[in-house]
Amino acid sequence: MILAKLAYKSLLNRRASVLLTLFTIAISVMLLLSIERVRIDAKSSFSNTISGTDLIVGARTGDIQLLLSSVFRIGHTNNGVSWKSYQYITSQRGVKWSIPISLGDSHKGQAVLGTTLDYFNHYRFAKKQNLTFNKGRPFAAINEVVLGSEVATKLGYKLGDNIVISHGMGNTSFHHHQDNPFKVVGVFNPTGTPVDKTLHIPLAAIDLIHGGKASLEHEHEHDEHNNLTGHPKQVTAFLMGFNSPLYMLQIRRNINQYKPEALLAIMPTVTLKELWEMLAIVEKTLLLFSFVVILISLLGMLTTLLANLNQRRRELAILRSVGARPWQLFTLISMESLLTTLLGCVVGCALFYSTLFLGADYLQSHAGISVNIAMLSRYELTLIGVIMAAGFIIGLIPATRAYFYSLSDGMSIKT
Amino acid sequence: MINLKNVTFKWHKSDSSPTLNIKGLVIEKGEHIFLHGPSGSGKSTLLAILAGINTATSGDVTLLNQTLNKLNNTKRDIFRADHIGIIFQNFNLLPYLSPLENVVLGCQFSKSRQQKALSQSATLNTEATQLLNALGLTEQNHNKNVAELSIGQQQRVAAARAFIGNPEIIIADEPTSALDTQNRESFINLLFKQANNSNSTLVFVSHDETLKPLFDRFIDLISLQEQV
Repeated sequence: MILAKLAYKSLLNRRASVLLTLFTIAISVMLLLSIERVRIDAKSSFSNTISGTDLIVGARTGDIQLLLSSVFRIGHTNNGVSWKSYQYITSQRGVKWSIPISLGDSHKGQAVLGTTLDYFNHYRFAKKQNLTFNKGRPFAAINEVVLGSEVATKLGYKLGDNIVISHGMGNTSFHHHQDNPFKVVGVFNPTGTPVDKTLHIPLAAIDLIHGGKASLEHEHEHDEHNNLTGHPKQVTAFLMGFNSPLYMLQIRRNINQYKPEALLAIMPTVTLKELWEMLAIVEKTLLLFSFVVILISLLGMLTTLLANLNQRRRELAILRSVGARPWQLFTLISMESLLTTLLGCVVGCALFYSTLFLGADYLQSHAGISVNIAMLSRYELTLIGVIMAAGFIIGLIPATRAYFYSLSDGMSIKT
Repeated sequence: MINLKNVTFKWHKSDSSPTLNIKGLVIEKGEHIFLHGPSGSGKSTLLAILAGINTATSGDVTLLNQTLNKLNNTKRDIFRADHIGIIFQNFNLLPYLSPLENVVLGCQFSKSRQQKALSQSATLNTEATQLLNALGLTEQNHNKNVAELSIGQQQRVAAARAFIGNPEIIIADEPTSALDTQNRESFINLLFKQANNSNSTLVFVSHDETLKPLFDRFIDLISLQEQV
């Protein structure tokens, strides 16, 4: 008890150097935790983005580029797949379902995706979960739109609102499709995937807003409120599900050798893994750096403690003279380093959470990583434990020296 | 009270002649002893042996009927905490504790001294305050930063720390060397007064022979070691 009080008062007395040490430890803890949290959340965000889809087909490009543009809305493809090829491929034997998607338009910086009703039935994310509605229903007419949860909350849209889609990506697009406002009929529940940031409109509407006549031609044949039959000349990509993996492999080969058009079929799970492995080197470098930072901060603590110890030999002699035993001085010094490390970790966690709060939005909107502002996981607690243990072990070095000083100096006061 | 018999001390076993060689030294309870020795005469060594920080290489050191060299390290540390108060040359306060806390520290490593202090006052702080007052440190200085006190005031605090909990033996190692002549005498008189109050034996060590007339008894360390 008296030792804890002495350690505390002694630390307080040397607060300038102690605070600096504490902050280097805090910053390194914050760095390590942030890197680890982003790494793990990025990984789960990535692998949760799409599931249950066997193949993604698009114009020939890189595997990863196709995945990024079709699933993550990052980058864009110049070419599409013609409607004819789409129809031909999806009519093959073994194809269970298909979802055509058409990208390239935007609304206030949010991606607009043209698709069919199959999207609502077959698109799956995370652990084969279907998209569910928070409010409303799927689109049923050509001028209806279904919003991702983030679009709705961020832009403050509710059911019944009319919105205007602009051509091309970005807020500052010159060409607004003013003539064709869309009515909000549904809002999805949050998914933690790019779906949250997407506006979903009927595929037939894509050509319409670009001045195509696809649906106008059919207008007289259909009921106005159930008019989704039009189709564009081409789609950006399409997703497919199969009855059996055997069909999938065969059709994949056929698509990749398809003569009329240069197409590419990728298996999203495989490509996601490739993408992640590409990032793994970055991830490992970051991890290495944060461990080095921790090492440096702990060495800094060791330096300060050892430098102080020489000046504190008098203090040790005084404590000896009032009856402190050598092991008590050992405890005193190691308690000081433990206390510094402990406070460093606490401050580090506080910094970590403030970074998360400040950075979560940015990561979500710029990197598509939904960072989880949750309690510390068991893994993160283990990391902190390792740092604490390292700090404690390093503190044993000056403590051991204090022990032997107190034996050799005895009561004679050095310095 | 204090009894040294055929005590020798060598820092290393290989040393040819011992640093300290005392055939016999007896100090009675309540005595105020002036132990004189120039530097190099083994003063610090003798004090370390009396305080139980070092043990004699041969011979017996008996304090309060306890033979120190027969106790183990821990027991000697406890013995020191319980029965001995020590005042150092100078700067002998912990800089991060207030004067009052420095005094209380004197009985914080010893249960028996704590109990003795508490048998005289309700709390350790009141006992420390009373001691500081008795040694002439006014209350406005009790909670100051130690560095703001003069050397003389610091020595009073150190003395109070040695006296708290009434240890039987007070060892003062050159406590006045940083003080001027006038302060020296008044400080020593304060020590006497306090030692009489608590009925403690005072062993005062110095190389300064001018202090000799103030004490009951004078022991010269050099001649002590020449006895055969």
